[in-house]
Amino acid sequence: MVLDDLGSSLRGTLDKLRGKSRISEEDVEEVVKEIQRSLLQADVDVSLVMELSDNIKQRALEEEPPSGTPARDFVLRIVYEELVDLIGDSTELPLEEQTIMLAGLQGSGKTTSAAKMAWWFSKKGLRPAVIQTDTFRPGAYDQAKQMAERAEVEFYGDPDNDDPVDIARKGLEATEDADVHIVDTAGRHALEDDLIDEIEEIERVVDPDVSLLVLDAAIGQGAKEQAQQFDESVGIGGVVITKLDGTAKGGGALTAVNETDSSIAFLGTGEEVQDIERFEPEGFISRLLGMGDLGSLVERV
Amino acid sequence: KVKAAATGKFVIEEEDLEEPLWDLKMALLESDVEMSVAEEILDRVEEELVGERRKFTESTGSIVEDALREALLDVISVGQFDFDQRIADADKPLVIIFTGVNGVGKTTSIAKMSRYLAERGYSSVLANGDTYRAGANEQIGEHAAALDRKLISHQQGGDPAAVIYDAVEYAEANDVDVVLGDTAGRLHTNEGLMDQLEKIGRVVGPDMTLFVDEAVAGQDAVRRAEQFDEAVSIDGSILTKADADSNGGAAISVAHVTGKPILFLGVGQGYDHLERFDPEVVVARLLGDDE
Ligand SMILES: Nc1nc2c(ncn2[C@@H]2O[C@H](COP(=O)(O)OP(=O)(O)OP(=O)(O)O)[C@@H](O)[C@H]2O)c(=O)[nH]1
Ligand SMILES: Nc1nc2c(ncn2[C@@H]2O[C@H](COP(=O)(O)OP(=O)(O)OP(=O)(O)O)[C@@H](O)[C@H]2O)c(=O)[nH]1
Ligand SMILES: [Mg+2]
Ligand SMILES: [Mg+2]
Repeated sequence: MVLDDLGSSLRGTLDKLRGKSRISEEDVEEVVKEIQRSLLQADVDVSLVMELSDNIKQRALEEEPPSGTPARDFVLRIVYEELVDLIGDSTELPLEEQTIMLAGLQGSGKTTSAAKMAWWFSKKGLRPAVIQTDTFRPGAYDQAKQMAERAEVEFYGDPDNDDPVDIARKGLEATEDADVHIVDTAGRHALEDDLIDEIEEIERVVDPDVSLLVLDAAIGQGAKEQAQQFDESVGIGGVVITKLDGTAKGGGALTAVNETDSSIAFLGTGEEVQDIERFEPEGFISRLLGMGDLGSLVERV
Repeated sequence: KVKAAATGKFVIEEEDLEEPLWDLKMALLESDVEMSVAEEILDRVEEELVGERRKFTESTGSIVEDALREALLDVISVGQFDFDQRIADADKPLVIIFTGVNGVGKTTSIAKMSRYLAERGYSSVLANGDTYRAGANEQIGEHAAALDRKLISHQQGGDPAAVIYDAVEYAEANDVDVVLGDTAGRLHTNEGLMDQLEKIGRVVGPDMTLFVDEAVAGQDAVRRAEQFDEAVSIDGSILTKADADSNGGAAISVAHVTGKPILFLGVGQGYDHLERFDPEVVVARLLGDDE
């Protein structure tokens, strides 16, 4: 991964607090400003950033630091706690029979993530199947099929059927013996009413245990509207962030989690089926703020 | 109502600007203009306005907004050239390569561009330089069939430069005007794939390289635009998925860091969903004064 320079100003500001035991209002203002910068540069929703930074400011000024805690570490812990509070733990995915539906914007990484997740479940000893319902994008069937082959998992799709709802129904029947059904859908966005209706229909037939929103780590402020719309339509129970092997910070996922009142399930870190990780808050927050050493720092407090 | 005061004038002080500039900065960020780009633009606005005189009737806010409109237009109009004219003037076959990160819409934009060219009387051949991604050959193959174009492709795992090279030979032999060369999506952090892209550039020697990104991209747009421009020296950009996004800040970021023009917007998944980029429209949208 490339060198991280975004968090360096935040680190610099925090370093100025090193050695101090009491924090002035001015110190807090300065730190909060830098945190705002980091979060805005990570694509977190602007109003959410303001809300978060107000909370941080208030707590830093009102709460009494535990005796012996340096001011810097105290502020840092508040920042960390506020963010953990918001993102929470990884989306719960019990290792048992279940159906998962993927939804999201065109090109966000749904088809790739479907195969990756199937691979992940198969490594956990379950028998997954991928069902491709995208009848719109050219080559979608072949792409999903080839990815499922690479993941060595069962696959259902029908290039001659142009009804996604029907494919979903037949796919679930045909893969009845599988433990985990992962239903891929065509890309769509919040303003495409017909396609939103379509995914609602697919959702009714599939009746998933959880629907996951697949988000590109680089998505900007539009994450909010997309998350709202998909949540309203199919109910989002978790978020998958893809393309984290680039430089994007994935702050859109924070927005989405906040909007949908859900959590993050998986992270995508490459184009191959093995390039998937379960979400883990500490590393993600460190990345958001551009501070690799955050976890260990907070632990000390 | 305040006519009497209208003749009076004020000198604009730095502190008068603080609040309107802050508001505008937040507005630009909300529209996905990258932070350092937004700051640079607003610094320019501030520099221009401090010490200026304004009439009593004008609010500082509106003066700042006018100055910002100018500054944004300046940035976003950078390097605009007449795309159609350039196609007309070029020796045929003309080779255009499409690059960008994963899933932004390169392949779809090629299909749209082939339609765009045909409408202007140019024939084109598609070349699938994406020998990597699952289903890539089938995807562009379906587009080629739907548009009734020749597709040159190799086996998965083949050499992308060789595919495009073959397409150039095909175009020469068959009097085709334009070669539209696709490349696999790659993140700018993947050194191996960025090196491969440079190699494609060297071997093929394209007449035009277009950087494709999506209008919904946030702050990261700046980094990838920079890195692709550095690797293959782009001639301009296409921003896709503008139909999903009402902001357009990525256009400002990309135009600013590359100094190359945004040429087209993708506004849907259909073959006709490719529009010439109009700087005025995007600036109006950014400042919320369209419709
Ligand atoms: N580098 C990287 N590329 C990824 C990742 N996930 C997906 N991709 C790539 O992103 C592109 C789009 O992925 P798809 O899985 O086709 O996305 P999709 O959401 O199914 O797209 P549509 O079906 O067209 O809406 C492909 O080139 C993938 O290889 C990731 O985590 N890292
Ligand atoms: N809404 C909308 N969708 C688009 C637009 N352009 C492309 N898409 C969709 O975005 C998805 C990805 O497009 P592709 O053309 O496969 O993107 P790519 O850059 O070639 O992807 P890779 O080759 O995997 O890197 C597809 O579902 C397209 O239909 C656009 O302007 N608007
Ligand atoms: Mg797909
Ligand atoms: Mg492609």
